[in-house]
Amino acid sequence: MGLDLDYLARTFLLSLRGLPVTLGICASTLLVSLPLGFALAIIGIYRVRVLRKLASVYISFARGTPVVLQILVVYSVLPSLANALAIRAGWDVDVFAMNPLWYAVVVFSFNTTAVLSEIIRSAILTVDRGQYEAALSSGMTGRQAYRRIILPQALLVALPNLANATINLIKGTSLAFLMAVRDVTAIAKIEAARGYEYVESYLAVFMIYLLVCGATQALFTLVERRLGIYRAPVVAF
Amino acid sequence: MLSIRDLHKSFHRAEVLRGVDLDVAKGDVVAIIGPSGAGKTTLLRCVNFLERADRGEMHFDGLHLDMHKASGKDVLAIRKRTAFVFQNYNLFNNKTALENVTEGLIIGRGMPARDAEDAARRALDKVGLSNRLDYYPSKLSGGQQQRVGIARAIAVDPDVILFDEPTSALDPELIGEVLGIMRQLAREGTTMVVVTHELAFASDVANRIVFMDEGLVVESGPPDRVLHSPAEERTRQFLRRILPAGATLG
Repeated sequence: MGLDLDYLARTFLLSLRGLPVTLGICASTLLVSLPLGFALAIIGIYRVRVLRKLASVYISFARGTPVVLQILVVYSVLPSLANALAIRAGWDVDVFAMNPLWYAVVVFSFNTTAVLSEIIRSAILTVDRGQYEAALSSGMTGRQAYRRIILPQALLVALPNLANATINLIKGTSLAFLMAVRDVTAIAKIEAARGYEYVESYLAVFMIYLLVCGATQALFTLVERRLGIYRAPVVAF
Repeated sequence: MLSIRDLHKSFHRAEVLRGVDLDVAKGDVVAIIGPSGAGKTTLLRCVNFLERADRGEMHFDGLHLDMHKASGKDVLAIRKRTAFVFQNYNLFNNKTALENVTEGLIIGRGMPARDAEDAARRALDKVGLSNRLDYYPSKLSGGQQQRVGIARAIAVDPDVILFDEPTSALDPELIGEVLGIMRQLAREGTTMVVVTHELAFASDVANRIVFMDEGLVVESGPPDRVLHSPAEERTRQFLRRILPAGATLG
């Protein structure tokens, strides 16, 4: 049995139409998760009393349960919950008509925030405290010291891990089809089922993810090189 | 100009400072010496509020404050009129030599960028690094990094510069260049408080030596007296330990 290359090409192009959805979920998720993850990281570093406990419970939960399960729970529970709330509050919205994209963003943000908070926390801790003190003693406020000295360096340290998390997120969004989101994977699955040409369809999505993830990695590497000019050249040993 | 009274500080119930007094007049070069664990560095860090004292009073020019309760505003005011030179330089790794100096001027003190750059160039010129303005710390030797650290301190024209063992992390052959600059500053009348193990330097640059041990000032006075005819037995013991037999100071 040979490959139906024509079909493969068609599915590839068709699935590409799901790319804005895939990337949109990723971008929105990062937009939500980066500030939240940063806040959690700061809570962890400064051992903010009660919040720290809550944060660590949340992080254990988010990282210790399968994403598929989180999707199923959110997708089945959240709408009913929101609906009940909407009725109680007397809002005139049809919760069940809401775009499933929002649910996807909620689930992936829930997950990614936990991952990012750990990445950001450890990255901040790699910048030695002495520089923070030097910034303070030269008359900067703590906030200025963070913004100008600590965070730029922490960001650079975090980049490889951020790249990883982003790529995991891109791949992870393929599970969004479970929420009836028409992303790259969902379109390919539908096509595959329509023509019974599974191999071609799946090859097509493989290629799309490979390209997108490859481009993401390249982008991060580029940024890392750009921002890292102040580092001593790494000597192989 | 600066006086500290009854400064106390504990870490996890270990009392590191047990009631320290310190007086610094304008133009003074005060060298703080003593065995490790005496509390010298902690004293210096409390003055700049990098550590928060448990108790103590500070008079700084017109300001009078409780060192335990000082508000963020007071702390900032003190920090803007003092400068700190660290043992490990603590340069901003993501900034060039020039930016390391301008950063505190522009961000901390709100100086216009152009003025800050002029001040930074002058300061770096003074420490002999005008040919390294665009170098990142990772490309500078330890001695050069510490000189940038000193430039960062003098550029802000502080009332007093606090040096915390500025040469302790340096290779022996690099110590001279840093001490040379500090000598120069002393000659120009810069007010300095220096925690140091360099007794020879303390002896001929400082006009007052403070000997500390176990969280207290044991004795203080002009170098001649403290180093050559100390009144306290503990000072004598320390000097005997640290100086090779038969050696004398300057």
